[in-house]
Order: sequence, then C-alpha cells, then structure tokens
Amino acid sequence: MSTEFGDMRTAYGKTLIELGEQDKNIVVLGADTTDSLKTSGFGKQFPDRFFNVGIAEANLVSVAAGLAYSGKTSFASTYAIFLPGRCVDQIRNSIAYPSRGEKKGLNVKLVTSHGGLTVGADGGSHQTIEDIATMRVIPNMKVLIPADAIAVSKLTKSIAQTYGPFYMRMARSKVPTIYSDSQEFQIGKGITLRDGNDCTIAATGITVKMALDAAEKLQQNDISCRVIDCFTIKPIDKDILEKAARETGGIVTCEEHNILGGFGSTVSEVISELYPVPVRRIGAQDMFGESARDSEIPQLLEKHGITSINIEKNVMDIRSNQ
Amino acid sequence: MGLNYYQIKKNVLQARKLVIRGTSIAGSGHPGGSFSMAEIMGCIFYNHLKYDPKNPEWEGRDKLILSKGHASPGLFSNMAVAGYFEESQLDTLRQFGSKLQGHPDLKCPGVEFCGGSLGIGLSYSIGNALAAKLDQKDTHIFTVMGDGESDEGQVWEAAMTAAKYNVDNLTLILDRNFIQQDSYTEKIMPLDESLEDNELSEMWKDASRWKTGDKWRSFGWNVIEVDGHRIEQVSDAISRAKSVKGMPSIIIARTIKGKAVEHMEDNPQWHGKAPDPALVPIINQELDSQFMIAPSIIAGDMTNLKNEVKRCDDGRADYIHLDVMDGQFVPNSTFDYTKIKELRPLTVIPFDTHLMINEPVKQIQNYIDAGSDIITVHAEVCDESSFGEIHDLLKSNKVSVGLAINPDTSMPDWSKKFISTLDQIIIMSVVPGKSGQKYIENTHVKTKNLMINLKENDFTGYIEADGGVTLDNIGECFADGARAFVGGSAIIGQTDVRLVIREFRNQVLRIRRKLLIQKANELGGIELVNKWIDLHVVGKKKDELIQLATELGYQ
Repeated sequence: MSTEFGDMRTAYGKTLIELGEQDKNIVVLGADTTDSLKTSGFGKQFPDRFFNVGIAEANLVSVAAGLAYSGKTSFASTYAIFLPGRCVDQIRNSIAYPSRGEKKGLNVKLVTSHGGLTVGADGGSHQTIEDIATMRVIPNMKVLIPADAIAVSKLTKSIAQTYGPFYMRMARSKVPTIYSDSQEFQIGKGITLRDGNDCTIAATGITVKMALDAAEKLQQNDISCRVIDCFTIKPIDKDILEKAARETGGIVTCEEHNILGGFGSTVSEVISELYPVPVRRIGAQDMFGESARDSEIPQLLEKHGITSINIEKNVMDIRSNQ
Repeated sequence: MGLNYYQIKKNVLQARKLVIRGTSIAGSGHPGGSFSMAEIMGCIFYNHLKYDPKNPEWEGRDKLILSKGHASPGLFSNMAVAGYFEESQLDTLRQFGSKLQGHPDLKCPGVEFCGGSLGIGLSYSIGNALAAKLDQKDTHIFTVMGDGESDEGQVWEAAMTAAKYNVDNLTLILDRNFIQQDSYTEKIMPLDESLEDNELSEMWKDASRWKTGDKWRSFGWNVIEVDGHRIEQVSDAISRAKSVKGMPSIIIARTIKGKAVEHMEDNPQWHGKAPDPALVPIINQELDSQFMIAPSIIAGDMTNLKNEVKRCDDGRADYIHLDVMDGQFVPNSTFDYTKIKELRPLTVIPFDTHLMINEPVKQIQNYIDAGSDIITVHAEVCDESSFGEIHDLLKSNKVSVGLAINPDTSMPDWSKKFISTLDQIIIMSVVPGKSGQKYIENTHVKTKNLMINLKENDFTGYIEADGGVTLDNIGECFADGARAFVGGSAIIGQTDVRLVIREFRNQVLRIRRKLLIQKANELGGIELVNKWIDLHVVGKKKDELIQLATELGYQ
C-alpha cells in the first residue's frame, strides 16, 4: 500500500483563506517567511488584513496581541525556532498573561512551521526541540502538534473558533497522511488510532506515523499495542492516558522534541500521579540537532532514536520488565 | 476652547498626592517615573483622551497604553481622579487581591495593556491602531513610553512597523527623564550621547546635543519636542501630532524624574522606592507649594506688545497676564479682545486675562474666542446671576475661572457658592488701573484671613498676588498662601526677563524650603528635619537646606 503525503503549510494557508472569507475579524501576521509559511495567499486575498512586520518576531507577537485586544483573531506565523524561540517574554506577557474576567489571555494563534529535527539541512541552529517545553509551562497557553495535513486544516479551524492563545507546531517536510477528511478533532482529547492491550504508544506530530508502523510490526509478534495521537499537548488528555496505563501497563512516548520538558515529560507527570506504570520517552536526547539533507533525515532521527524500530525496542523493554 | 489649564493642574496635583499615598502604604513602587510623566498623563486624561469611566469598555473610547508599566501609580492615580474608581483604592496598591497590581493589568477595568515587561507597548499599540483602521473607527491610541525602555530592540522594530503602515492614529509620547534604574540613561545606554562625568544638567540645557529626535525622524516619524512639564506645550503637541496624517508621531517630552518633590527630582534613587510614611505630610505640603510666575505685559512697551509676549516666551513665564482696562471700571484703558486674538498665535503659554471692565458678562464670549485660558472678572461688577453665567460659560469652554477683588473689597457673600469650583482668586494688592504701584501692606493679612475662609469652603484653586509684587515681598506673599504671582514692572520692566523670573523662582523656593523645614520640625523635631534634609542628595540642595535650618535654629 502506497503512503499518501500532505503538506502541512499548504493546508494551513488554504484554511486561513477559507476562514478569512467567513470571518472579517481574522487577521494574519508574518515575519518575512510568509511565502514559506503559505500565508502570503491570505495576504493576496485580503491585503488589508495581512501584516508582514519583517524579521522582528518580538514585534510580530505584540502587534498580534494589540490586534487581538481590539477584537481581532490574530494568526501569527513564522519558523518555530524564532517563534516562540525568540520571543517567549512577549508571548507570556503580551498574549498569555493579559486576562479580563473569563477571557484568559488574548485571542492570538501562534502557528509555526519547521518544528523539530526534520528541518534537516538548515542545521541545529534551526531545529527547535524546546518549543513544547517553553509553551506548555505558560498559563493560559494551549499547545497543539498535528500529525498530518488534514489535522492541520481541522485544527486551524478549531483554534479560530476557540477563544484564547494557542501554539500550534507544523513540520517542514511533507508528512504521511493518517486521517480521512471525516476525522473529528476535539481540542484536549487524544485519538486512539489503534487498540491494543499489551502496551501503549503515545505519539505526537510526525512520530504518530512511526508509532503506527511500530505497532503493526509488533502485532506480527503477537504484541498488541494501543496507539494514541496526543495532538493536544496542553490541555493533555488525562483520561485517555490513565485508561491506557490501567489497561496496557506501560507507555512509550514519541516526539520530535527534547525528551526533557516536552510531551514525554507531560505524559510522565500525568501517569506518575494518576496510575504509575513504566514509561519510556523517545525524542531528542537532550542534544542539539545538525544538518542533514532530506535523504539523510532518517539518519539524523536515528541518531536520536526517533524511529519506529526504537519504539518497538522500547515496547519490548517495558514488557520484558513487567 | 481654552487649555483647561487649572483643571489639569489641580488633577495632576491630586494624582501626584495619590501616587505618594499609594506607594507609601504599599512600601514599594515607582514614584519617580510616575512624577516625570504626571503632566503628560494630565494632558492626555483631561484634554485629549475619549473615555467613560462608568463604562470602561465603551466602544467609542480612545486607548491609553502605558508601555512604561512600572509607572502604574501614575496611571492608577489619574484613573481615580478621572472617576474609574474611588481614590481610596490607591490604598490597596500592590497588595494581595487588589486590582491595582504592581504593574498595569487588565484585572483593573479601564486598563488597556498589561505592562511590566518593557519594550512591548508600542508594538501592542500599533496592533490596536491597525485594528481601529480595519474597523474604520476613529479610535486614537496614546502610548507613553520610557527613555530607558528605548534600550529594548523591540521598540525600534515597532518604530519601523508604524512607519511602514502609516499608523497616524497613534501618538507616542516619550517620557525623556534621563534616568533609568541603574543611573542616568546617558551613562547606561546613551540615547543622545555619552555623558561625561555628571554633566547632566548642562546637557539638559543644550538642545544641540539632543539626538533622540533624529533617531525617530530617521525611522520615518513626525517628531515634536517639548518640555514635558509644561501643560500648554504637551497639550499643544498632542493636538499637532493628531493632526498629522500619513505618518506616526512621537512627542519627545523632556521631563525630570521625581518632578515636584525636590529630593526626588533628578535622583536615580527614586526610580523604584516608596516614600517613608513619616515624610508624607511634608511631601504633600511640598506638592501643594507649586507656584507660577506671570509677567504682566502692560508694564512693558505698549506699542509693541508682540515683542513683550516674545520676551515672556523666551523668559519661560508660566503664563502671561493680560490686563484689560476699559477706561470705565478703571480710569485707564489698555486693549481689548482684538489685541489678545492678535497675540494668541505668538505663543502657547496660557493667557491669563484679567478683565478690569464693566459688565464683563456682556463681553466674556469675545475673550474666550480670542484665546484666553484663564479669565478673571471683578467681583465689584458682578452679581450672583451674572457671575454664574460667566462661570458656566468659561467652564464649558475649558477656560479657568477667576474672580478678583480690589484692595478695599471683600469676597462678596454670593461668591460662596462658587468657591469650590473657582480656579483662581486675584487679591489686588494695588488699586487697579496702572502698573508700577507699591504693594499695599495689609494685603498680607487680608490674604491670610481669606485663605482660612476659602479652605473651609473647599477651595482647590490658586490665589494670585497681583500688584506691586517684587523680589522683596514675593516670599511673604507665598507664605500668605498665594501661588501665582503677577509681575509688572518688576519683571517685564527689566532687561533680562528670563533672569528675573529665575530670581523670582529662587526667592519663592527659599521661603518654600523654610516652610517645609518648619513643617518637618513640627512633625518630628530636629530628627525629622535632618532626615528630610538628608534625602536631598542631588546638587547643592542639601547645603542650602542646612543653611536655612541653621538660620531657623534647627541645627
């Protein structure tokens, strides 16, 4: 069976135009990466509602905040290494912190591309492996990592309709399509993609496909793995994780992010409090990335152990210790 | 429309007192930066900003963004004065559970921006301004930023963005007080140029060394530079900034950190420190001791009044006293409103029009239209009804209301109902009609007695001493309670108006300091006197105070 691929940024740009047609309050901001982020199409369609502030991410965030305070729904986008990497203070203080009554934070959606190691050739300076950690610890901020282009489209619409600050991270390269157009996504709820009782693989972003591949392989050895797409890192779906811990006895987490502070840490926090079972974290091993051409990206990921084979190994490891 | 001069002054004074009250109770906070921007905030709140304190979310409002968020007491105090909440709320400043947080916060209705992290406010303001344009609203954004804050790179990112998008519905005001947390701005990160030794006061005077405006001009901004403690200059600058279309405007307001309290002025220690509660009554008395010097131009060359106005402008008069005489109420005649109209474009300094005319009610509108900012009429030619009419007309035109009494007149009984809203009372200390007369000595007693009566009737205005005021008696006039001083031949009759005005100021300052030392002694004896004097660490103030204290026998 051949795998279909989809481009997350194209899906994002297309969805923004749809949203812009329906809602005049949608504004889009960029920082000299608008062709790359595919937001420039929105700019052509709605030039008055499109602001390219140049290579100035701090300014990008606070201008977006001002627009949101005046009633707009701001989408601000650039590469994940700079947003949030460059401007955590502005995100905290001008977007997440300002609250009035029930409105917690301002209505700004930070949607970034080029998250994680799969940025590839640009090298370690551009491979953000810290964004989940920095964003999830900020009160009022919600954090999403879609697994494919369909998830991007659906979640872009969801966050436009849900008040408050969001951080959503996309990948640079085309990613395998996992979902059908009819799939529903509920913010704060994980999706069980495959049921199983022997172990759970909880994944996010591009690693969801690796998790599915690993589960398929393990099935051949009669190990039935549950696979959960935790596309919402915050608020994390505690119920689905607790249930998985209770029913499968162990969890392997996968992410394209440092194993410190990211998704694996989030799962560990939840599980250690609600139903402690063994957890193994797969992700960047607290070391920076490096350049890799597209054809070499599997090697880069392998260096950090972000592969379906390593997922299999970790599942086996958990089971052998039980 | 007048400048709303005295109303702004009164509100600014009240706001300053609330800053002291709030920070002294809290035991922390930032009075220095609140005071440097006090007049700026006053002009914004009471002359330019559209708002409804009872409906803070009103759609038609303008937005005030305090980017230099640490100066929150300066914002909250004005919000209290403007009616957003009770003044007593300032007592909760910085306390657990208070809506008046250490830095401005949306928790407090009416606050439009969560300040605190510096350098963000301008970008945020641009966002609000762009949104207003998208919505085709005439919302204006007023943003107040600090000079230390200008170290932040984001400020300059925002500066470029505002120019790119022609954000002309935003007025940025830079509170250029030359001090940031560690020390003087020019020592920490020069905005103008590096400071050699401690030459700040020299630098302040030398406009050729101010480079901040050049920076903003080169970023594509319309730049207006003013003295940030002069209400007339700041307010005029805001009007001019708002009238410029197609580009953003910045007003660089040169200010003094801690302005209005001598020991805080120009003193980096007062960036973020609260006043000692024991000293608060002295500070409040000092705040109540602000004064104005107003040359009367009829004492100059009547054939060239334009030049006399120019001399007042160069001499940095606080306002210009215009004696209108009609040849009936007084034997002489000077000029009428047509002359005032002619002089008005020459300066933004407030015009203090003193009408020595019969039936002023009939002509009052002409004097308003001519550009007066304060109009004083004589009690001798008014009654309750005609003065009521004048009073209401002036107030509705933002012209300050004055009532004058001649040397042999007392305040009429009918004036009682106006006292709490009167802005100015002129106690004539010569028989009106001509300049160059000698001060009538019993005016001192008259003023003192009147002050007692006025206080009982909630007078919040200013007493103006007019007639025969000289360097020799100005101190005593101040001690009587006068806060505005008209100088005829003693000022305008001299060659160097600027020098004379400075001498007048120094003379008042001297008596003011003496009275403050006496106040300290009353409150806490020599110990408190010394404690207060020791706070005056900048310049030579301390030596001068020690000498005064010695003269008073307190050392």
